[in-house]
Amino acid sequence: MRRHGNRNLGLIALFLAPALLLFAAFFLYPLGFTLVTSLMRWKGGGGMSPNGLANYAKLLGDSSFRLAMRNNAIWALASGFVQVPLAALVAMILARGPRGWRLLRTIYFLPNVISTVALAMVWVTLYNPQYGAFKALLGLVGLPARHWLGDPSTALAAVILQTVVYIGYYMIILLAAALSIPRELYEAAQIDGASTLVQELRITLPMLRGSLATCVTLAMAYGMRHFESTFLMTGGGPAYSTSTMGIALYLKMDALRYGEASAAGMILILLGTVLVAALRRALGRGDPLAEAAQ
Amino acid sequence: MRTTARSRVLALALLALLALPSLAAAQGKEIVLKWPCIWVGKDSKAPAIAEIVEAFNAANAGKVRVEIEPQPDYNAYEQKVRTALMAGQAPGDIFTLKLNASTKDFYSNKLLMDFSKDLTGAWRASFDAGALAQSTIDKKLKTLPFETAVLPIWYNSAALKAAGVSSVPSTMAEFWPAMDKIKASGIAPMSQMSGDTNAWTSMIWFSHFAVSFGGPDIWAKPFTDKAFVESAKLMKRIFEGYTTPDAVGAGAGVSGGHFLAGRTALFSNGPWYAGRADLRATPFFPSIVIARAPAPGPTKNFMISRLQANVAAGETKDKARRAAIVQFLRFLTSEENVRKLAQSSGAMFAIDSGYVPIDPLQKQFYDIAAASKVTANDLEAALGAEATLEFAQQLGALALGKVTAEEFCALVEKKIDR
Repeated sequence: MRRHGNRNLGLIALFLAPALLLFAAFFLYPLGFTLVTSLMRWKGGGGMSPNGLANYAKLLGDSSFRLAMRNNAIWALASGFVQVPLAALVAMILARGPRGWRLLRTIYFLPNVISTVALAMVWVTLYNPQYGAFKALLGLVGLPARHWLGDPSTALAAVILQTVVYIGYYMIILLAAALSIPRELYEAAQIDGASTLVQELRITLPMLRGSLATCVTLAMAYGMRHFESTFLMTGGGPAYSTSTMGIALYLKMDALRYGEASAAGMILILLGTVLVAALRRALGRGDPLAEAAQ
Repeated sequence: MRTTARSRVLALALLALLALPSLAAAQGKEIVLKWPCIWVGKDSKAPAIAEIVEAFNAANAGKVRVEIEPQPDYNAYEQKVRTALMAGQAPGDIFTLKLNASTKDFYSNKLLMDFSKDLTGAWRASFDAGALAQSTIDKKLKTLPFETAVLPIWYNSAALKAAGVSSVPSTMAEFWPAMDKIKASGIAPMSQMSGDTNAWTSMIWFSHFAVSFGGPDIWAKPFTDKAFVESAKLMKRIFEGYTTPDAVGAGAGVSGGHFLAGRTALFSNGPWYAGRADLRATPFFPSIVIARAPAPGPTKNFMISRLQANVAAGETKDKARRAAIVQFLRFLTSEENVRKLAQSSGAMFAIDSGYVPIDPLQKQFYDIAAASKVTANDLEAALGAEATLEFAQQLGALALGKVTAEEFCALVEKKIDR
């Protein structure tokens, strides 16, 4: 029996080895390297020299990096608590099977198969203060044009809007979950005289709890590491009003401040880990992913 | 005794037999030099570079061969070079670097070959002394200045004439009334931008103003100097009244696009922009005038210029390989080959080739460079990436009145790594 167990252990190790090796090579090693270099003065020329926590102190003392951290928090909140609820609302409507729901499902999901670059360029054009569609819309109601991406007071909201309206990814997850809720529950509620709204609030939402928790976690994690569309649309400007930690990291690398870039990366990883752990704790009950992990 | 002597002879013969093939191999082995090269594909210098490499290889057949590794993406190339150097590897035997205040840190890297003892005599004399001085750090010449650029102002003189402006304004007293006239004619006078990581076209304008106010050595002074503050005030005035509504946050593509579409009359960029087919297709192409920005300060007859690409080589202990690299670089930077490159691409070089351009637009760049008494770096070349990024980011805030000119300069000063 014991020999059999040992043989199994060997087999388990053998099967796990490739994944563990890849994990070590492409996650643990870079993570360790980032941690070490975050404590170094490293500008790309000669070697590195120990720098203690100076890179962290410099970043945290820099108002532009603190702004990037704040923006990441706003991104995470907007993704988790605007994008996901919107996706849930649409999923609940489509799960009722209105006419053309399959077509609508495809339309909502379509932006997810379009390149981020293309979408970002479309929105830059829509926001253009000279010939953009938003200018025309404002003109229809007699309002003056605004430079949405060029004004620090509107730029962040403008780039967030560009992302949160694309709800297709979370909508598909929630729609699949909603469609798997037994129809008998709704039939019974109907017989008891429950309105559609009551059915959604008392049956659908509780049954979607696990999937909602997963979507909120994924959306907020995305918000924490957001980079692409903002970089393409504003480069983090004007005056860092749309910068994120990911953009700050990239720009530090571009300026050959590798030690500071690594420190920015470590802060990003740390905050992301804390956020995900907190979300798991807060929303974990009923979430199949969290339960599987426990 | 006889046995010992015979043994010695035999041992020597054996040694000779063993050494012969390796000696022969060493003498006959071709040295292959790898050149990860950006001047490939659709790049304007690609045909001439290919021709030069082919000619070198033919002349050195069996001895030295240069192999181009095509890298057509500029950003990817820069990242590749940086990453390789950071990882402790030379990106190739020969490669190019943009030498500026940030990348000069690479000079402390032992992977780069130092040309200071190789570049002597006539070869040294063929290089522009200023460019050589810029490329020499702590007496080391770890990159050879190659491509250079002047960064003047482009004027659409047809638009100026249509607005009632008969000549390019050379003083600020002429400048503002001219801009008002252009504005009244229904177009935005200037292409400006605060986007990208360097606010490129606006950074050129700012550099012209700053050098005019403070002289060519202005970049060594604190950014809170009056020259920078006054330049910032001029930029604010331009953004507030004399550029397109989308200038804040706009990238280089938008800025150039407005000029190409005739929506602005003034633009700023290097000579490489002159080769664009869409520029040459514009109805106002023949009317483009290349000139200085109006000088608001005491320094007047100067031009903003920069080292656009320096050639570097991977350090090697192999004397034959080292000699082969130097041999190729001598060939590449020879008068004849630089002339060939200048002729075919329109680019400018740090090597005196005696080239006189025929293309009228290209000629204007050469003429303005030759006519300038002094050249000075632009902000990005002088102060590096981090300060330039701060300049770009805060330029938007300055334009929108979120910070004053003094605050703007203080913010940029904080990011300068002196």
